[in-house]
Amino acid sequence: MPRYIVRRIVGAIPILFGLSIALFLFLHLLPGDPATAILGQHATPQLIAQVRANLGLDQPLYVQYLAYLGRLLHGDLGASFVDSRTVVSEFATKFPATVELTMGALIFAIGLGIPLGRLAGRHPNGWLDGLLTVVSLFGISVPIFVLGYSLVFVFGVELHWLPAVGQADPRLGVPTVTHFAIIDAILTGRPVAVVDAVAHLILPAIALGTIPFAIITRITRAAVIDVANEDYVRTARAKGLTEQRVDSRHIMRNAWLPVMTIIGLEVGGLLGGAVITETVFAWNGVGSWVVSAVENHDYIVVQSLVLIFAVIFLVVNLIVDIGYAFLNPRIRYT
Amino acid sequence: MITKRFGALIAVLGLALSACGTSGTATPTAATPTSTPGSGATATPAPSTSSAGTPVQGGTLIVGLDGDMAYADPSLVSDGNSLYVAAQVVQGLVGLKPGTIADVVPVLAASMPTVSADGKTYTFTLRTGVTFQDGTPFNADAVVYNYQRWQGFDPKSDLGTNDYYYPAVFGGFGTASNIVSITAPDEQTVVFQLKNPQSNFLLSQTLQVFGLQSPTALKTMDADTTPLANNKYAHGQATENMVGTGPFMFKEWVPGDHITLVKNPNYWDTANAAHLDQITFNVALGDSTAKLQALQSGSIDFAETIAATDVAAAQSSGLTIIDRGDSCNLGYLGMNQSLGAKPTIYADKNVRLGIASALNTTSYIKAFYGPNDKVPTSWMPPATIGFKSETLPTYSLQTAESDLGAANLTTAQKAIVLYYPSNVVRPYMPDPKDLAQAIASDLTSAGFTVTLKTEDWGTAYVNDATTGKLPLFLFGWTCDWAGADDFIYTGFFGYQNGQPNAQFGYKNDQMNQDMLNALAAPTQDQANQDWGQAQDLLAQDMPTVPLVNSTPPGAYTSKVHGFVGAGNLVEYFNTVWLSQ
Repeated sequence: MPRYIVRRIVGAIPILFGLSIALFLFLHLLPGDPATAILGQHATPQLIAQVRANLGLDQPLYVQYLAYLGRLLHGDLGASFVDSRTVVSEFATKFPATVELTMGALIFAIGLGIPLGRLAGRHPNGWLDGLLTVVSLFGISVPIFVLGYSLVFVFGVELHWLPAVGQADPRLGVPTVTHFAIIDAILTGRPVAVVDAVAHLILPAIALGTIPFAIITRITRAAVIDVANEDYVRTARAKGLTEQRVDSRHIMRNAWLPVMTIIGLEVGGLLGGAVITETVFAWNGVGSWVVSAVENHDYIVVQSLVLIFAVIFLVVNLIVDIGYAFLNPRIRYT
Repeated sequence: MITKRFGALIAVLGLALSACGTSGTATPTAATPTSTPGSGATATPAPSTSSAGTPVQGGTLIVGLDGDMAYADPSLVSDGNSLYVAAQVVQGLVGLKPGTIADVVPVLAASMPTVSADGKTYTFTLRTGVTFQDGTPFNADAVVYNYQRWQGFDPKSDLGTNDYYYPAVFGGFGTASNIVSITAPDEQTVVFQLKNPQSNFLLSQTLQVFGLQSPTALKTMDADTTPLANNKYAHGQATENMVGTGPFMFKEWVPGDHITLVKNPNYWDTANAAHLDQITFNVALGDSTAKLQALQSGSIDFAETIAATDVAAAQSSGLTIIDRGDSCNLGYLGMNQSLGAKPTIYADKNVRLGIASALNTTSYIKAFYGPNDKVPTSWMPPATIGFKSETLPTYSLQTAESDLGAANLTTAQKAIVLYYPSNVVRPYMPDPKDLAQAIASDLTSAGFTVTLKTEDWGTAYVNDATTGKLPLFLFGWTCDWAGADDFIYTGFFGYQNGQPNAQFGYKNDQMNQDMLNALAAPTQDQANQDWGQAQDLLAQDMPTVPLVNSTPPGAYTSKVHGFVGAGNLVEYFNTVWLSQ
């Protein structure tokens, strides 16, 4: 197993290297220029030239890339063209919000998706199965921003049950310490602050988690139906095992494998979905940061964030693969 | 309602997938001597400080700002978000009377300055008893320190490239600056000696970027550190940040999320001290729908601006739409007379006049703008210093056809392309696509065959328009200050390095000379004459078609009282209070 992990990590290096070149070229081929984006209507040819020189954009592309790569190899992800903040420091303040949102969405998707998918799979073609099919179809079909705005309109604007935007109500005066709103609220020791932070998470988590919820429900259902018809399940029943034991030891344990794979893939999808969700719910996360960076041609920020996303995606997939081995003793990595 | 950001969202998703006076002043005050540049001081009634009942003290106001600040050092910014926040914290020698765009009043100066007959020497007497928010005294040395700091920025450094306004106003840094010297003959007197008279001197100094900061804080916090990536003061991460003299003090900035200001308990102008304990600017509401919903749900109390298309929805949900008074912008149809060295059909004056007569601008105002927005009568809004009302072509298809007939355009020449921006909303252009379609329809009626093309505002449009790549296009200008120079010289037609602005390719040496004369006029009256002459020439030539003077719509909830809006968004929150 350790050799497998090392091999996977080493194998990721050329992927990341290739990605960095592709990204660099792609961003520099986009129309527009960071200097004019920064200066806006105040741009003059002289100012544009000076800003480009200060940012190193007057250098040949390969020089710019090598400089970027050199910094990257020294662990320096660079600084924003627009506000000069280092990517590392900004990431440290924004990533917690994205993690909080993604975790909330995952808890919603897994916490509801697996039990409901399991129920539907154990009673296929029943009324619950039919209802879940409709709900899943709806969940997959509705764009996140439509669902997000609709949720805010109903539960925030009309009913006033839940907050519309942000991670916490500034009126409560919770100091920003960890940038995890719920943890910061817990640190104050005030239940009202914790309830407020959790309430702020509910709508965005549902908006972001609905697509993975629908997918996980469907995959779990299909996996349960598949496994339930296997010979070894019939054998287990023939041995006289209780239905509960058959379900937990023989059906669900084997049905977990495809579900695990999907959860791993959905983490990548959630990071993509967070871009939209954070904009709709005004969360100060990595997603909305990327949007601003793209709008401003902030190459350094976009390059670095996409690389970070790629690393996260690779790590999650590695964890999923390792998880297989624990779930299925027949799988052994060497 | 679904707004501009989703274009960028799609691009991002693609990437992600591929990876895997006051007193007297700048804040509202009781009774303040006011003056326009070049005139004597006159007493002016103060704005109302409350809209209903007795102001309640305390509370936190949540303001939805249009975006994040660039830097916490106002000297280094030129964006509206930074300036909006800075207006609450820093103050200059002079400012604008609240609710106006061009009434200059003394703020940290005790009165308007005395100006020498040649217009080259300005002598300010300073207020006494003013302290910076770090407790250090405000005096003539502090003024001198701030101005010398700006003048001394290296134009090639991060400080120089981010300080847009000092060189824009004074012609450059260091010896290139029009300021020869700034001296402090005594603790309460500051003397500015200029190389040449500068008619926009006082009005330009109302900009928040000329807000004075504590020299002690600037020095001890290493505010001049470069590169800016290492400058904690600029990023609001130093022990003390943005230390001014205003009614609110900087407390916290979490970039991308919020900025928090707290009441200055030792504000020098006690009669105009803040009612609120705190203001939190939510800077994460980049999406207009999210902003409106945040207002409607009570998540925020106040939105600096809302989309023009959201005004009706805001009103129907009980929100108050901000009355912003005088416009400080101009939307126009640009007609570029040369693409590179090649003349376009717009080089022909008859074509420009014909197009101006073909556009039913009044109908555009009715269809796309607010009730207070108006068809311009010059290339700047009426409240601008130096404005002169001109008789511009009005809608007449007959006149249009006559002018265009005189131009003798071929069929091929009548096939034109009209550009409009996408993924952007501007107060002067709330719905660019529909406005472009309406204009195209009018031009078609006048005999043109119009093809509409669009480009993304941020990635292409601004660059292509300003560098002269678009022949016929929608564009606009929001004032830096409400002076004729800011519109027709800086924004539009002033020559750059001896050449006409590439955006329009409009060459009129007499007009340019009139503007230079106006800028260097020793008195405002003389400057106004020159600005008037320049506008007369523009009216004859019609280099662009002015379409609208608008005000940006904003809104607040019924809890908010005492707010005074201004068309240039120079607005102060010291008069604002919240009902319980």
